Amino acid sequence: MSQGKIVGGFVAPHPPHLVYGENPPQNEARSEGGWEPLRWAYERARKSLEEMKPDVLLVHSPHWQTLVGHHFLGVPHLEGKSVDPIFSNLFRYKFSLDVDVELAEACCQEAAAMGLTTKMMRNPKFRVDYGTITTLHMIRPQWDIPIVGISANNSPYYLSVDEGVEQMDTLGVATRKAIEKSGKRAVLLASNTFSHWHFHEEPDVPEDMSREHPQSYEGYKWDMKMIELMRQGNLKEVMRLFPEWVEEAFAEVKSGAFPWMLSAMGYPEIPAELHGYGTVIGTGNAVMEWNLEKAEARDAAVA
Amino acid sequence: MTVVSAFLVPGSPLPYLRQDNPPWQPLAAGYEKVRDALQASKPDALLIYSTQWFAVLDQLWQARPHLTGEHVDENWYEYGDLTIDLRSDTDLVDACIAGCADIGIRAKGVNYDHFPVDTGTIVANNFVNPGGKIPLVIAANNLYHGPGETEKLAAMAVEQADKQGKRLAVLAIGGLSAAYFDEEIDIADDRIRHDADDAANRQLLDALANGDRRSASEALGRFNEGTKADMGMKHLSWLFGATGDFKGARVHAYGPTYGAGAAVVEFNL
Ligand SMILES: [Fe+2]
Repeated sequence: MSQGKIVGGFVAPHPPHLVYGENPPQNEARSEGGWEPLRWAYERARKSLEEMKPDVLLVHSPHWQTLVGHHFLGVPHLEGKSVDPIFSNLFRYKFSLDVDVELAEACCQEAAAMGLTTKMMRNPKFRVDYGTITTLHMIRPQWDIPIVGISANNSPYYLSVDEGVEQMDTLGVATRKAIEKSGKRAVLLASNTFSHWHFHEEPDVPEDMSREHPQSYEGYKWDMKMIELMRQGNLKEVMRLFPEWVEEAFAEVKSGAFPWMLSAMGYPEIPAELHGYGTVIGTGNAVMEWNLEKAEARDAAVA
Repeated sequence: MTVVSAFLVPGSPLPYLRQDNPPWQPLAAGYEKVRDALQASKPDALLIYSTQWFAVLDQLWQARPHLTGEHVDENWYEYGDLTIDLRSDTDLVDACIAGCADIGIRAKGVNYDHFPVDTGTIVANNFVNPGGKIPLVIAANNLYHGPGETEKLAAMAVEQADKQGKRLAVLAIGGLSAAYFDEEIDIADDRIRHDADDAANRQLLDALANGDRRSASEALGRFNEGTKADMGMKHLSWLFGATGDFKGARVHAYGPTYGAGAAVVEFNL
């Protein structure tokens, strides 16, 4: 068996509005569209993902929040109906997904060996969170690639941002080790919105895009600054500014998916590709890609 | 009198799913006392506020006439599944939604099959209202509402019940001190995570037991200043808003839920 590897990673935010706007058969609610630029950004990301030919998708979601340690979905098949608790008018989605339990167990064990509290979720009636489902639908609506689902431990909120980031850094390294040993081609998905300042009222027609714009100019400026640094491949600066970004833009990246993914990829100093940016009830959402395999091939060609 | 009984109860599923675990047994036993007192008060409806049902945009109210199914808690899934059997008093829910407009709060009902009802509501209903015989009015915890708005909402709900000539029982679902153990523990050794939290919890419970609404509100202010509490104890604000004044309370149980504080309290109205 050859060594497994992380072929790429995406920032893949999960506003349920994007699924609602697309009107897939799995979702009960119907729309007239909306949030097209973000949905088209996902279309581009879907094409990239297709070319990456991954064996497995790993997704870290803020909406499976766990108090005691980092948890991993550990049931081979999960299905049900996911209703968003906040946007139940928009998102009532029938999901059916396959879990790569073997890789999930390996990640769980590696992380435990590195000192983190971890746990496998073995309850077959478990309802997968809407963040995980939205991200997976938007990046791969065919649902034909097994997944590893990882919870967001509450440490950035319960302890401090720095302690949270430290745990995510460790979890990222553990994830990489497990993938390398697995022999599989893996793609990582950080299910995070950037600036999280949002409006407190929903338009009568939720997809009325004449009402959609950044809620906060400060939040918008932060997002642009951070995206520009990512496009330059300057992740050192991104991580140096991370706590400030979290604080001033109320960024959802605080919950850990984003630092987990960067750590797992080894903070690659390669330009990230922005597929698109848009707001959802005022929050900032970017669909971004780090294509590690392409970057490797480019380096090899230069050498 | 519209409000005929009022209780503070924990929203953690642990005392329900492991009633035999010694540190959690008193909470489960306390819940049984609440069930008896609640049934004896013969309410027409049960007004519920749980810290675990978050709303962000509007004030949400559960409008589904009957919700059934099974619920698995995202944290405590290994302890077992929870049966959902909730009936809404839809007339009163509709009146509450309409009543929100009068107090300047945007509101809407949620009426969806498979709606993710929070663990606290399910646990409390299963403990005190088995079979879901008493219809419910369930309000969400809007994260942007402070104690003032929360009290106003509860008072409005009581006013609507009064207009419909209904007897109302009030259930405030949530904990006390919020600090928990973030590592695996032997559940047989569960205790309040910090001694200072334990002392603060006991002080607050004393104030509820021996005070009235004014002195209890003051004690609640002190508690919130010194302790990281469950959602700023907005569930108690809800209860105060619903009951108006009260004459002390009976603390049926106090104990830990994985390090966090929890109590079962019956208020004397
Ligand atoms: Fe989110």
